[in-house]
Amino acid sequence: MVKRKVGALEKVEADLASLQYRCRRDPPSYQDDFQNQYNQYETFRELFLSNPSTTDDSGIVSLRELIEFVSHCADCYPTVTAQFPNQLIELLTLHHDELEIELRDKIVGSLVLLRNKDVIDSSTLLNTLFPILVTTSSKSLRALLFSKILSDLRVSNSKGTNHRLNRTIQTVLFNLLTSDRESPKGIWAVKITRELWKRQIWTDAKAVEIMKEASLADNEKVIVGGVRFFLGGDKEREEAAEESSDGEDDIDINKIRHQVGINKKTKKKERELKKAAAQVKKKEKKKNAPHPLNFSALHLLHDPQGFAETLFSKHVQNSKSKLPLESKLLVLNLVSRLVGLHKLTVISLYSYFLKYLTPRQASVTSFLACLAQATHNLVPPDVLEPLVQKIANEFVSEAAASEVAAAGLNAIREICARQPLAMNDTLLQDLVTYRKSKDKGVVMAARGLLSLYREVGAELLKKRDRGKDAALGLISGQLKERRFGEEEASQILGLEEFEKWKEEERRKKRIAMGLPPDLATDEEEEDEAEDWKNWEVESDDSDDSGGWINVESDGEDIVISDSEDEKEPPAKKAKLGSEDPTEGTSKSKSEEPEGKKLSKLLTTTIMTPADLAKLREFQAAASVKSNMPSAKRRAALANTHFDDAITADQIEAPALLGKKKTKEEKIAMAKGDREEHHQSTTARRKEKKLAEGKSTTNKEKARKKNFLMTLGKAKGKQKRSLVDVRKTLKGHIERQKRGGKRGNKG
Amino acid sequence: MGSSARKRKEKKKDFQKPKLKVGKPQAKAANFTDTSFKAKSIVLTQQSLSSTAPSLAAQCAHHLSLLNHKSDSQRRESLAYLTTAISSLPPGAPLPQPASVILPAVQRLVLDGSNAVRQQLLKLLQSLPEGDIASHSDQLLLHTRAGMTHLAADIRISSLDVLEWLLRVAGDEVVSCAGGWVKMLKCFLGLLGWQNNSSGKWSVTQSFGKAGGDAKVQVKQINALASFLRCGLVPSQKEAALAGEGSMFPLWQTQHHMLSERSNAYAHLNLFGAARDEEAEMYEDREDRQRVFHERAEAAVVVGLEQATKAGGELGRAAAQLRRVIREGMADYNGDIGAY
Repeated sequence: MVKRKVGALEKVEADLASLQYRCRRDPPSYQDDFQNQYNQYETFRELFLSNPSTTDDSGIVSLRELIEFVSHCADCYPTVTAQFPNQLIELLTLHHDELEIELRDKIVGSLVLLRNKDVIDSSTLLNTLFPILVTTSSKSLRALLFSKILSDLRVSNSKGTNHRLNRTIQTVLFNLLTSDRESPKGIWAVKITRELWKRQIWTDAKAVEIMKEASLADNEKVIVGGVRFFLGGDKEREEAAEESSDGEDDIDINKIRHQVGINKKTKKKERELKKAAAQVKKKEKKKNAPHPLNFSALHLLHDPQGFAETLFSKHVQNSKSKLPLESKLLVLNLVSRLVGLHKLTVISLYSYFLKYLTPRQASVTSFLACLAQATHNLVPPDVLEPLVQKIANEFVSEAAASEVAAAGLNAIREICARQPLAMNDTLLQDLVTYRKSKDKGVVMAARGLLSLYREVGAELLKKRDRGKDAALGLISGQLKERRFGEEEASQILGLEEFEKWKEEERRKKRIAMGLPPDLATDEEEEDEAEDWKNWEVESDDSDDSGGWINVESDGEDIVISDSEDEKEPPAKKAKLGSEDPTEGTSKSKSEEPEGKKLSKLLTTTIMTPADLAKLREFQAAASVKSNMPSAKRRAALANTHFDDAITADQIEAPALLGKKKTKEEKIAMAKGDREEHHQSTTARRKEKKLAEGKSTTNKEKARKKNFLMTLGKAKGKQKRSLVDVRKTLKGHIERQKRGGKRGNKG
Repeated sequence: MGSSARKRKEKKKDFQKPKLKVGKPQAKAANFTDTSFKAKSIVLTQQSLSSTAPSLAAQCAHHLSLLNHKSDSQRRESLAYLTTAISSLPPGAPLPQPASVILPAVQRLVLDGSNAVRQQLLKLLQSLPEGDIASHSDQLLLHTRAGMTHLAADIRISSLDVLEWLLRVAGDEVVSCAGGWVKMLKCFLGLLGWQNNSSGKWSVTQSFGKAGGDAKVQVKQINALASFLRCGLVPSQKEAALAGEGSMFPLWQTQHHMLSERSNAYAHLNLFGAARDEEAEMYEDREDRQRVFHERAEAAVVVGLEQATKAGGELGRAAAQLRRVIREGMADYNGDIGAY
């Protein structure tokens, strides 16, 4: 009897997993079986639809398993399963509330699977999942959907930015926020945007716009979410980037290679090695890639003035807004940050602060920090003056506690550092006397104020408080009070000296050529052109030219092929322009302020590399001069970014100076981060070497060798005959002479 | 450097082993919650104090609930209890539980994994009064169809028995319920491997008659298909009788103007359900069914029948039976009919 051919499914008993495996291996042969199972799925689905809330745990196979099976094979039979994704979507959207939990999660997972197999596209998936995320009341489903949505967005943006998808999703989120400002659903828009911002998937203005709408919402949670994003989103992003760059486990390629050499060679090991090599290469590439330029959310805002104004009037100033103090402070912090960063003018903001500047106000240091943050050099001083006065009256007095006084003084200092004109002389002189106080914190705060005004407004101080530098500066007229709205022109360190040197050089050269030293002529231009050819830094006379005499090419024609030089050099033009006034008078030149002359050099000439090198020399010399403490202080003041955020901690900082620490705190401070158990230097070095994956010396190996292994050899040594011992010893001496086994020479 | 050392220390802290000491109680976990409580008295709210035996209805209800039991012997015994309870009733007495309660609870067991349970189920179904089945036929049919396409061969076979019973009891309702005609036809063709794929792949032509598996099973399937088609295509005795006695002069075709005796008489209008496609549509007329059969299945059935007749033996006999049924059913179809 002929053996009957065994059908595909006769051997297996209700094993969808094996059928799935076969279907995926050889789709055309198993089409009938798949079709049967698909029919089964459809029947189950109908049964289910007639009563969606039943738990279908009956029988061997459940709808859940069938859905899993079909979704895994869907890409093999696209015609049969054409309706399948839509059915799943319908099932989920209509019944997600009453579905059995496992089945529901399976449907979500299957949809994601279909998306990964490219059966459906991302926007379909997200448009299905997002409405459910917003509406469902199940916490676990929300968590699942949120993670799936995020991961899908990440995946579809992994190869390159998927602008279309991003735009549609951003529009959906935006509409969610703007359509109903009262509802707490907007929190999902905030969460998704924040997460994607953190991962640097969304870095554009549209995402910021979404957050802007969130902070202008009416629901407290949404508002706080939006505001927190602006205050901390960028820092979070930086931290995440840092973590991802150093968080990955370092693969030690050398170690793996070594292990491959030792262990049994299998295909798996080989694959692993290849994979590791690729990963290392990728990492290396990543390291060399230029750092992506990311703008902070605050800088990407359109119309920050309008935003700050509405934010302030809607949530802070508005008496109807029911935000608790904490959230209000957050909003206020954002408003003041915007004002400080973009130098906005929101006049009503400052009068708002007046009410809250009392030591009894809850979290007053935050208010003080906000006020300092909202101050910039374009705020009218007469708006700030009453505030400073109030702080001085309320906080800084003999009756107030030392912490309060220190915080007040520090707040005043922070405000005045941003707008020095907010202070008048009587008040300042009064405040400065606190540097004689008994409390260290107060002393430090008062000193800070004093040293600030020595730089920015010394004439407000009493004469004996001004200090040497400031007094000298006032006398010489170098130190002048900056007026309202006046900006300081930026300078390049050492440029002044450089220009003087340049002038000197020119004079020398002209005298050497026998020309009047002051007038400019064509030869000089040619000279300059020569300079450009002579790319390297000129070292005056100690050239390698030795005995050669450098003949200047005076009258000869110089063929200049450089297109840049064919143009009339700008320096000449400038000089030609100023020819008429300089004809007779050098007086007018000297009258011109120093700054203008400097800027002229920068705008009229292009510096050669030789020039730049000279400039660097001068800079080095100048920096030696600026090592004096007063100069350091000045530099520190100039370097502070006044548009950075100020926190309440910063305001409170000097008050901590005066506080006595407990013994435990002191011990903890002294211990710091140091390791507890002591380790010798050698041990530490060894550990380091091991960690770097470096090998040990032969000596080390010999020392570490298992005792039992050495035993045999040691025994043999003892049994040697005297002749043998002599041979060995001789050999040893010989080797010593030669310098090792292989010897030193060739 | 300092911060990394601190981080390392923090990381280590997570994996430190708690030290166990002999004679000391084990340290409580960090998330330990004390659940002990004190009470002066504990009162049980419900106590069964009845001394009489539960009624038959109550026992039946209990056994119906036991049909979900995880042990298959328990399920089978519950079914057996129900069967004896129903069949031992005096004729004319009402069921201990109405059929509308029994059937939904029972019908899932068509797909049960255990063979014994399914056989017992068939006995129970046969013991039910026939008149009660008709209104539940669509749900029963869905389960039967699920069983027919089931992955396990045993379930496929036993669900054919259920189908035979169902056709005998409520044939008309089965073929005219929503999706009952087209989907069943498709299901049969799939089972028998008679799908007419127009795309001429050689591997597909090979697979004719394969999926049916064993010849015995195939015979059974063909027989089931024959009885299904008989119900759907051949004019029933009742209809013929109606047509015969229709001449009650002066009243003509009264039965069409009377209120329908069936439940849910307007189901075909599908007023409340989701929109149906061609497959899920109800085909209540014999002419409709003939047309659909001709369009969708006839060609495939003809090819398949040829194969089956060639096989001869029992299979050939069953095929001949089926052919006769088709010829009978499609005799008055006015489209052109293949040569039988």
